[in-house]
Amino acid sequence: MELAELAIKKALTLGATEAEAYVQKVRRIWIEFADKIDSFKVIESIGMGLRVAINRKLAVHSTSILSEREVEEAAEKAVKIARVAPEDSYWQHLNKEFGKSPVQRYFDDKLEAIEYNQIIGELTAAIDRMREYDSRVRPTRGMLMASISNTTILNSYGEGNERKETHVSAWVRAKAEELGEKSTGTEHRETRFWNELNLEEMAVSAAEKSVKFLKAKPIKSQKIPVIVRNQVFASILGVVLSGPITADWVQKGRSPLSNKLEMQVAAQKISIVDDGTLQGGWRTRPFDDEGHPTQRTAIIENGILKNYLYDSYTALKDNVKSTGNAFRGRYWMPPQPSPTNLMLEAGDVSPEEMIEETKGGVFIEETIGEWLSNPISGNLNATITHGYLIENGELTTPVKGIVMSGNLYEILKDGIELIGNDLRNNMQNYSPTVKLKEITIAGK
Amino acid sequence: MEIEEEMEKIIREAVNLGVSYVDVRYQQYDYELITVENRALKSYSSRKLSGMGIRVAINGAVGYASTCDLTYAALKRTLENAVKAAKSIRKEEKQPFKAEVNRVEMNSPYKIDPLSVSPEEKVSAALDANKAAWIDEKIKSAITRLGLSKDHRIFMSSEGSRVATETTMIGLMHESIAKSNGIMERVPYQESKCAGYEFVESMDLNKFTADISKLAVEAVKSKTPPAGTYTAVVDPNVIGLLLHEAFGHASEGDLVSTRESVLYGKIGSQVASEHVTIIDEGVVEGGYFCPFDDEGVKKKKTVVVENGILKSYLHHRSSAHQFNVDSTGNGRAQDFENLPIVRQTNYYMEPRDYKFEELIEDIDFGIYVRGKGATGGQVEVGMGTFTFGVGPSKIIRNGELAETVRGVVVSGFILETLKTIDAVGEDLTIRTSIFGGCGKMGQTVRVGFGGPHVRVREMTVGGR
Repeated sequence: MELAELAIKKALTLGATEAEAYVQKVRRIWIEFADKIDSFKVIESIGMGLRVAINRKLAVHSTSILSEREVEEAAEKAVKIARVAPEDSYWQHLNKEFGKSPVQRYFDDKLEAIEYNQIIGELTAAIDRMREYDSRVRPTRGMLMASISNTTILNSYGEGNERKETHVSAWVRAKAEELGEKSTGTEHRETRFWNELNLEEMAVSAAEKSVKFLKAKPIKSQKIPVIVRNQVFASILGVVLSGPITADWVQKGRSPLSNKLEMQVAAQKISIVDDGTLQGGWRTRPFDDEGHPTQRTAIIENGILKNYLYDSYTALKDNVKSTGNAFRGRYWMPPQPSPTNLMLEAGDVSPEEMIEETKGGVFIEETIGEWLSNPISGNLNATITHGYLIENGELTTPVKGIVMSGNLYEILKDGIELIGNDLRNNMQNYSPTVKLKEITIAGK
Repeated sequence: MEIEEEMEKIIREAVNLGVSYVDVRYQQYDYELITVENRALKSYSSRKLSGMGIRVAINGAVGYASTCDLTYAALKRTLENAVKAAKSIRKEEKQPFKAEVNRVEMNSPYKIDPLSVSPEEKVSAALDANKAAWIDEKIKSAITRLGLSKDHRIFMSSEGSRVATETTMIGLMHESIAKSNGIMERVPYQESKCAGYEFVESMDLNKFTADISKLAVEAVKSKTPPAGTYTAVVDPNVIGLLLHEAFGHASEGDLVSTRESVLYGKIGSQVASEHVTIIDEGVVEGGYFCPFDDEGVKKKKTVVVENGILKSYLHHRSSAHQFNVDSTGNGRAQDFENLPIVRQTNYYMEPRDYKFEELIEDIDFGIYVRGKGATGGQVEVGMGTFTFGVGPSKIIRNGELAETVRGVVVSGFILETLKTIDAVGEDLTIRTSIFGGCGKMGQTVRVGFGGPHVRVREMTVGGR
């Protein structure tokens, strides 16, 4: 806190008209494992991101060297860059609306006190469970991460905010082998609490999947109804929509959702929200990365586009209020509007019911490469590494190695037949399982 | 140097604590990124990062800890964290690190230190380049980035190694978005080099961005290809991306030792057609400068595949130990906060003797897959499936290049795809990038990749 104040004071002395310091201290445990534990890392990092303005000229500089001398030098460098920066005619001022929204469940007290031995014990047990599951299965790779972070934001308007957060995530992969056939099964979970991870359950589920897919084969190219599992659809939504729903993309003319507020952009049954206050959400926090309180914002309500996501810069430019969506990936990145927890609101059909009422189709369990989808055109492309044929209301043959393509904007308009009741997250993206009327599959 | 004395002290301290091996890595990293969007400076960010990572091995168990605080008290606490982490893992194995002791210092060459060029000059270069991209009313958005970095690393170990390297890098990236009849198409492209500011001075920046805009306009007017299996001619960008992602990762020793890779147990077998020779090399023209890895091991020229036969995996010290071979110098870490894992350096296919015209002349209907404007790729190493979003490409009809197609995604099983390569071009282009790099297990490192033009008999193309 003192160094943040020092940096701001120094910048103002050197001629800055505004200054903001963002200090992030993170303590992270990172374990990599396969059939045994490969490595155990303890990472302590601290850094300061400094944003200064000289009237309408802006600069960002950051440093991980937090000594008084370096902090002063950082302020000097930031001011030096700001001097040569061209004027940003839209710049008004740094965030002045500080505050905290009353959010819950974003810090795990237990994680702070947990012993390394307990973590290793639970992890080893999970790896053993995977091996015991079936003689054809081996644990081939996994990662476990737990972090505690402290974030302090201070600016020259005398405002400040501080928050403490925890994040826990894990990823496991099992490989099954039999008579030259090979297959894998993957599970991942991202949560805020150690107790919600349940490594054993993840290990068993990955093992189960790997065995089921030993006989998986590609299928012929065709147009076919598909059911997309919650975490997979969450990832697709995140890849395609995260940019276009921000005011930043809209103001720059990059977003296909520009000029569409209050218009029908999706079917009536579709509602999508951004909720920074979601209990226990992956990006839940009381205030955003400029110190502005977070909130729940309707993006698409019953098919109608209601709002874009704003940080203070884009909000001042449009003369509206910030939605509390300023986000910095790490301390050295300047804030940009970005979703907090992006969510397709759940419906009331269970995945089992969806399968039952499907005569012929594909159930998509896992994909890779969905992040290659194009947010601007909405073109979806993902390789289905794990899927099942649906025949007469039942999951039958496992399939792999086929490419699904389509267009998310068209899918949102009239491609979604059913919305599930089983909301789950893939990092900050939340979705239930959905059934799509028809999608193109490229296979053999 | 003060920092090296501290590193030596920590090594002595660790040995006193009874560890069987310790290495200490110091890094100072400077980075600047200038972003111009739609003719205006969007941001100028600059970053300085420094810190130290300590790796210890106790009875084969590895513990690692890092810190940004370089005071001796903090380093000592970090060492204790590493020891505590190692001790929490019970493992009964011998020394996992096969020794290679080097004492050397190597810097990538440059003429003009990009960090010393005035901010004003760098901003104006990026602004001018961006302005040149507005060649057509269909261009709706244009983003130009100028990036530069200096990465200084020192590696010291209880075996007596001391390896210091410094890599200076610079690059320009541009993305144009064109819109026409409700269709939007985005074309990103970049040029980077391990060099100084002289690289930017030598580039025709205006032509660089205008060409990208031209391609975006051409793409937005074009159609997506019908989905299906094609005979494809693949350009050096795409063959590099394909080899790096779909084959390179599968050849990484740590993924092989867990049997996660499709290449497990395949040394000496035919994994590609006889026309295919694949190399990983630390220092090559156009590539990333990586003479030593982050375990102090020299990165030599590794022949991974020779005439279609798998010859070698890539190794860091611990995977080399498991395979009872020498490390190939591929133990690389993103930064001091990460442990080295097996990573490629510059991964490429060796050229043969076909001219481009010869590659396409007998194709009745096929596709010329191009990398300019590619959005990336991903692979499942366990099954060898890959999927890549490539740039605007061209249909090949009756042995000639025909119309442009957009939204092309290629996919397949790598071992099948490489076996259908039946002709390899005589050209060779290797590229690197300062804008991002290759991600694996949460770490991003800079890499280089490339090759010649290559003909693939069967390639799955997804489209609509």
